[in-house]
Amino acid sequence: MKLSTYRTITGYAFMAPWLAALIFLIGYPFVASMYFSTCDYSPLKEPLFVGVDNYTELMQDTVFRQSMLVTIAFAVVAIPLGVLLALTLALFLNTRIRGVSFYRVIYYLPHLVPSVVVAILWMWMFNPQFGILNVVLAPFGKAAAYLLTPFALINPPVPGWLGLVAVIVIFAAWWKTRSLSQDYLRAGHERFKRASTVLAIVFVAAVLFALTTWLNPIDIRKIQSPGWLTDGNPFPSGLSFAPSWALWALIYMSMWGVGQMAIIYLAKLQDVPVELYEAADLDGANWWQKTWHITLPMISPVILFNVIMGIIGAFQVFTEPYIMTGGGPEDRTRFVAMFIYDQAFEYQRLGYASAVAWVLFLVIVGLTMLALRISRERVYYAGK
Amino acid sequence: MEKSPENPPAQSARPLWTAIPIRPVHIALAAIIAAVVLVAAYERRPSLKDDFDPARDAEFASTWDKRVHIAYWEKWGSFEREACQAMVDAFNRSQDEVFVHYINASQVDRKTMLAIMGGDPPDVAGLWATNVPPFAEAGGLMELDGFMAKSGLSKDRYTPNYLKLGTYNDKTCALPTTPASVALFYNKEHFRAKAAELRAAGLNPDRPPRTTQEIDRYAAVLNEFGKDGKPVKMGFLPTEPGWFNWTWGFYFGGRLFDEENGRITADDPRNVDALVWVKRYAERYGREKLLQFRAGFGNFDSPQNAFIDGTVSMEMQGVWFSNFVRRHRPHMEFGVAPFPTAEGVPGPVSLVDADVITIPKGCPHPEEAWRFVEFSQRDGLAIICRLQGKHMPIKEPPPNFRDGHPNLELDVFEQVAASPYAFIQPRTAVWREYQHDLGTAFDHVWNWPVPEDELAGLSEDERATKVDALCRAEIERTLKDITARIQARLDKRRSVDELRRENASQSVETRP
Repeated sequence: MKLSTYRTITGYAFMAPWLAALIFLIGYPFVASMYFSTCDYSPLKEPLFVGVDNYTELMQDTVFRQSMLVTIAFAVVAIPLGVLLALTLALFLNTRIRGVSFYRVIYYLPHLVPSVVVAILWMWMFNPQFGILNVVLAPFGKAAAYLLTPFALINPPVPGWLGLVAVIVIFAAWWKTRSLSQDYLRAGHERFKRASTVLAIVFVAAVLFALTTWLNPIDIRKIQSPGWLTDGNPFPSGLSFAPSWALWALIYMSMWGVGQMAIIYLAKLQDVPVELYEAADLDGANWWQKTWHITLPMISPVILFNVIMGIIGAFQVFTEPYIMTGGGPEDRTRFVAMFIYDQAFEYQRLGYASAVAWVLFLVIVGLTMLALRISRERVYYAGK
Repeated sequence: MEKSPENPPAQSARPLWTAIPIRPVHIALAAIIAAVVLVAAYERRPSLKDDFDPARDAEFASTWDKRVHIAYWEKWGSFEREACQAMVDAFNRSQDEVFVHYINASQVDRKTMLAIMGGDPPDVAGLWATNVPPFAEAGGLMELDGFMAKSGLSKDRYTPNYLKLGTYNDKTCALPTTPASVALFYNKEHFRAKAAELRAAGLNPDRPPRTTQEIDRYAAVLNEFGKDGKPVKMGFLPTEPGWFNWTWGFYFGGRLFDEENGRITADDPRNVDALVWVKRYAERYGREKLLQFRAGFGNFDSPQNAFIDGTVSMEMQGVWFSNFVRRHRPHMEFGVAPFPTAEGVPGPVSLVDADVITIPKGCPHPEEAWRFVEFSQRDGLAIICRLQGKHMPIKEPPPNFRDGHPNLELDVFEQVAASPYAFIQPRTAVWREYQHDLGTAFDHVWNWPVPEDELAGLSEDERATKVDALCRAEIERTLKDITARIQARLDKRRSVDELRRENASQSVETRP
């Protein structure tokens, strides 16, 4: 027997158990679901081929459309927020402070709690009557409402114009700061410091103005004591496509698990060569410059990995909304995975559910490829 | 010389197996595979007969082996489970040929469906009445008419609505075990405490409301609000308990499904009236305030239940509810009456529902299963209905059925169940989707924003008229959308079934 044949046989023999499971437990259902997606198939009846009927029905299904919008809104807000929060947490956990190991454990712990328990726990916390969240947030909500009320009482055009002025000021300040920062390299950092402070203040004011153009008195009243899971109205209410209060609640809750993402970042952070930071120190780089020019490029593959996992995870969200809201109110928290579950197990439409699953699969593949394409020139692989 | 991958054997005509060097890891792999094959080959299907507990089943020990053991999947928990177990025990004691194993199963409908799909269903399954149309339509349940005729179990003995729940296409596919009808529960203590105010409003504190207009007026007097305007106690909430939101149209004379013509009738004008009535509550007391108020209610089966702890004075609930009230607040003074209907709508109106017992198609022991089902209908009903605190789904319960019965309000539930205006859930295979859409429509109507300044400064009557004017068109549109969507779904289902039947008949014709 040839050596290569011998090695091939040995390799496949070791892989055989996994391969068998892949073919029979994943491969077969995968292919079968493709066929079933072209059938009318109820569990107790034989599948009947109906061509692309399920797909055409899908295009006109308002509940499916709504569930897709909910899922996309969740992904658009929760993924960047999660990445940002996890990264911040990882940078914090990467510092040399006392008890850092304790913090690492603490931030990872939530990930170990089963999702059903998490859902029930958060249901209590979100309860608008006696939930701890509204008790803690009430003073902040009242303060925010006090600050925002004058803006909301003005008709939208005025804050809108103010917003535009603020944006112009931002650009002017930014432009000025650029030149000042070049000055800084030559002359000193005092003027740069002043300019960046102005920039920050103007930026915050602009965001505030932008927000007030959307906030109305109802929103201001609500932020003092949100109804969370019971409220299906969008926030800000001026934007019909904005996530509902119930969806915001699920988005906040999804931040509960960022500890796991932070640990992955942390592992990569500790892998960044120290000599790069030493070289930057010699060049006089500050913390932000080191983070922006060294840390982030070095850990960019892990950021990409987490974004892709986030995309896949967002399109598979099921347990929490299933337990906490059942998809309501008004389907405003009905994620696509819940829609598939309902079609398959509540309405016994396995064919239709398979069609939705295939559309979902293609969407996930498409978004993942898009993420890879966009990241091609922004992710740094040291090995390449 | 030892063979190694680096030093492969020379090409020769030797058989393949001799060319592979045997190492301990190969022997271990082979041993694992052999063990798996052996276990698979000698694995014995778990038998119900093996489930013998010397302590629990001592009285059946002598006949254990000669009996046919059958599986009965049911859904109950807590004291309701014990009631069902008592019925099973009575059957097992009544004869020595069949032994029923009571197996408690959550989501019993889904598990039964999967078991039927997999070709290994239980002998008897306790389902919900709503499961009958989809299961029967798909041929998942055995028809019981033949068994009933053979055993002399007459259909006439049943209260018609309960028998109808188990019938599909004029065939009996399920029989009722524990029935349910709903009525108005009202807190007599609250009525007494506000007797003077009720009288001042022209209402009688010694009786419950009889029309929806009256319930609004009673509720207005019984309501209590905090200093911040938030509700503290509400007389009535159409959102509580939230299980019956799709039924309000029936109390205004509406219907959801025209069974004769197979038409969805969600947009019946009387259903629109019902949602306008609901919307008036949302706008009168604040839609968000009420949702937040309701979010603070405790679990159904707890002392914090909104009716039991006195947060809500009147509520629609089923026959089962008396058990829970007495369990958590034994001395609570409450009354039960037919739920009010809109002015001019005949009553009493009530949802009639039931838990049903079925024999899944393909079960291993259909004859023995029927023996148990027959027992459940002849002697078992009295046991389970009494222990679960419910009435019986038959016209003439045994004379001693009421003796010591824990539910003192049975008369009302029997009365509303037998009413010609009682209704059952629409018996269509798309009911679950329909129900989902009706629930979403209810939420949508509740949340539909009515500008506050439109209602400011208006009297109650003016406000009601204004809400009607502002919301009726949206409610009509919402219900029309549902009608169109569900009708399309139903029509599609029918055409696919037609196609399926044609294919089946063609394959029979072409068969040699």
